[in-house]
Amino acid sequence: MNQLKITIALIIAVLLQWTMRNVAEPMAYVDFPLIIVVYAALQRDAVKAILFGAFSGIAVDALSGGLLGANGFSKTLIAYAVSELARRVYMDNLLLRIPVIAGACLLDDLVYFGLHRLLGQEPAGNIVATVSYSIIGTTIAGTFIYLILDYFLSERVRTSRRREMFPQRRQSRRRNPIRLSK
Amino acid sequence: MVERSQQDVWRLTPWLAVILCLGNFVLMAFDARSVGGQRVIRVWTQTAADFVQSPVTTVTSAVSGYFGSIASLRSAQDENSALKQRIQELEVELKAKEDLSAENARLAQLLELKEKSKYKVLTARIIGRDPSVFFDSSIINRGSLDGVKLNMPVVTNGGLLGRVTAVGPLTSQVDLITRDKSGVGAVIGEISGSNALGVVVGSSKREVLEMRYVSGSVEVEVGQIVYTTGQDGIYPAGLKVGEIIQIESGSATTPHKIVIRPSAGIDTMQEVGVLLYEPGAKAEFEQQIAKPQKGK
Repeated sequence: MNQLKITIALIIAVLLQWTMRNVAEPMAYVDFPLIIVVYAALQRDAVKAILFGAFSGIAVDALSGGLLGANGFSKTLIAYAVSELARRVYMDNLLLRIPVIAGACLLDDLVYFGLHRLLGQEPAGNIVATVSYSIIGTTIAGTFIYLILDYFLSERVRTSRRREMFPQRRQSRRRNPIRLSK
Repeated sequence: MVERSQQDVWRLTPWLAVILCLGNFVLMAFDARSVGGQRVIRVWTQTAADFVQSPVTTVTSAVSGYFGSIASLRSAQDENSALKQRIQELEVELKAKEDLSAENARLAQLLELKEKSKYKVLTARIIGRDPSVFFDSSIINRGSLDGVKLNMPVVTNGGLLGRVTAVGPLTSQVDLITRDKSGVGAVIGEISGSNALGVVVGSSKREVLEMRYVSGSVEVEVGQIVYTTGQDGIYPAGLKVGEIIQIESGSATTPHKIVIRPSAGIDTMQEVGVLLYEPGAKAEFEQQIAKPQKGK
């Protein structure tokens, strides 16, 4: 069920990426598909994260003036890197995810920019300013989106919340009188 | 079904990543090499995206218009409630009328352009912007069913805006002239009375253009208007490109460095016109000359 939910989240992210810039220009600095790809990679589901990265990247590229496949390449790379990191380091804490999403965004933008330069294309705008705004926007949005996704997807979070609401009675073990005597 | 162990999955992952990265890289390399062509994937994605982009644009413009009207009513807070109510109603009404009259003015400008233009103009609305922050292409709500074809020029009443780079049945993608890869054959002043020919390309700054290869021995001045020459095989002659705002003078051996402000309002555009113009057989012939066949 969670697999389906996260796939739906990715589809929504791609749709948001297609439409939000026309609604408000600053929304261009939020990379919604990247946020979901990193989330999937943090769930230690590497294969799904990589496939998500490739397909969402191509979906964004198809409507972009940039090279077809540049986003697919960078997001696949990010998905692999983050899933490898998540395999080695425990990162189920929201605070730990913030630098991960910021780093992923930085790497994604640099790879995207570098690929275009490598193939003789010149992306518009000042790279430093664009990447900085992009990191800020994606990290802030990512933090909130992860909270929402955790609420809807993580069984562990839900059960712990339920436990807080309905705490079980503490069960104390009976002492063994025989052992006590020893 | 064969169930894979976690270890098998981790062993498979790097290979999958490498294959997908390679696939994307090949796609990029083909895309970078192609000149004037379009990819089927872009066309179909545009068609699919139209079903989302058009309603979202309509709804958000209506919602932002409504909240914009409410936001403009803060000054009426001190007045009594009855008057406030009345003023709100009037303001909302007025705002709606202002929006309508602004839209009317824009459409009238396009109509004027349509009447003035030698070519048939198809009016279109921008329904989507580039999802990548590094580029500035736009999606318009006209496609091949309306007669739009690849490389057709897109204009506003101010002047040249760009060209169509991908055409779907319902929508098209427009690459702006501010992009570095867009070259426009241009002349300073009227084409018949000037020999200051050059190529206008985008620059790293989004709001200005550069004009290259203008001979340093030709006299140019700030404020002169730059027009298309029609020699690039894409744009017709006589379209206004922009106004010169800065010149670094060249010499007899070095060309001028000229900075141009585009005359089309690129940041504020909402409605545009697609010139149903196709370059003649001469341009195709010239393109064939430019690409000599191997082995001959």
